[in-house]
Amino acid sequence: MEIERPDGRSPNQLRPLACSRSVLHRAHGSASWAQGDTKVVAAIYGPKSGTRKNENPEKASIEVVWKPKTGQIGKAEREYEMILKRTLESICIRSIYPNTTTSVIVQVIHDDGALLPCAINAACAALVDAGIPLRHLAVAICCSVADDGYIFLDPNKQEEEKMKAFSYLVFPNSNVSVLPERSSQEGGEPTAHGIITSVTHGAMSVDDYLHCLERGRAVSARLSEFLRKNLEPKSSSESSRAG
Amino acid sequence: MKAGKLRFSKPNKYWVESSQKRYVPHPEDSVLGIVVDSRSDNFLVDIKGPSLAFLPVLAFEGGTRRNIPKFEVGTLIYVRVVKANPGMNPELSCTDATGKGGEFGALKEGFMFECSTGLSRTLLSSPTCPVLEALGKKLSFEIAIGLNGRVWVNSASPSTTIIVSNAIMNSESLSGAQQRIMVEKLLQKIQ
Repeated sequence: MEIERPDGRSPNQLRPLACSRSVLHRAHGSASWAQGDTKVVAAIYGPKSGTRKNENPEKASIEVVWKPKTGQIGKAEREYEMILKRTLESICIRSIYPNTTTSVIVQVIHDDGALLPCAINAACAALVDAGIPLRHLAVAICCSVADDGYIFLDPNKQEEEKMKAFSYLVFPNSNVSVLPERSSQEGGEPTAHGIITSVTHGAMSVDDYLHCLERGRAVSARLSEFLRKNLEPKSSSESSRAG
Repeated sequence: MKAGKLRFSKPNKYWVESSQKRYVPHPEDSVLGIVVDSRSDNFLVDIKGPSLAFLPVLAFEGGTRRNIPKFEVGTLIYVRVVKANPGMNPELSCTDATGKGGEFGALKEGFMFECSTGLSRTLLSSPTCPVLEALGKKLSFEIAIGLNGRVWVNSASPSTTIIVSNAIMNSESLSGAQQRIMVEKLLQKIQ
């Protein structure tokens, strides 16, 4: 039985995605990512020399600043910063520029549910725009579990508040091989089954969590497609002026 | 691993070309640096890379301890990258590989602006980039292009400098024919 969501989407349907790169002139790399009404802009500065205290000087370090739309910076923002930092550290190749710091500034333009996945996607697109060497890309998705065990993808703010629990999942993007036969093969590459980050809110059973993982992984292929298409250089409209 | 266009040149060379605002130092690149500090044995120079570069005080043509050049903080210099090992500060020099000074050294007067590394590579490619060719036919100016995304333009009158800089900044996303048309339109405005 199909359960109707307030905005008429099916349980597996994502909100319309929009991504643009090089939106800021002064930042070394920037991207804006919108999922429905949730919109986030990420800016990257660096790599710059010098690390902060308590950071390993043999690796490049990433510093994240999260700027909410309104209000003072509090514990929730610090938590987002920490999650984003750990996620980005795992996709960057940190041994290339030792003793440098890359700053990631995330500005929330509008929050309509699934804010952290939106920010992670924006930060990943901004890292590519800035030319920071990456191991692979990351795609993030939010899966929410309703009281009756039904799983909805990409909830908006109203749905998030009504749900029993929701989880943010970040997967590495799938490999695309030049040979068409290899792309459709299952297994083989370890990254095809990896997961980078998982954050859950609320109580859900183990089965529900595993279902969320499955659904999230299935949808991550679509998100990877979209991200990959967006990262192709647009030959006629790209202009990167440095300030 | 960066995102970029896959390029091919016969017989068997493939590479990925990308364009960024920051520069990754590479030996034998000519870049424009800005002096940030001077120490007893080298100058600290900012070349838009992950770390500051060192320019030894003696790395000039005929450089001895007695005639060390005095570069103030903020001087723009045209230098060559000698060493760029990962994890170490890059080393620069104001002489070419044989020890001759050539055009390296401080750049006086003129105007410097920043662009992406991809645009600097296009400007330095041979045959000459269409923008520079079209500008060179009508105007006379001096230009220094650094592979780190900095360009310096100097000419007798400020209006020429402004036209050249604007033309170069606008030419990034245009094809060869479009660049020529754009330059013509700009030149018509002043005549």
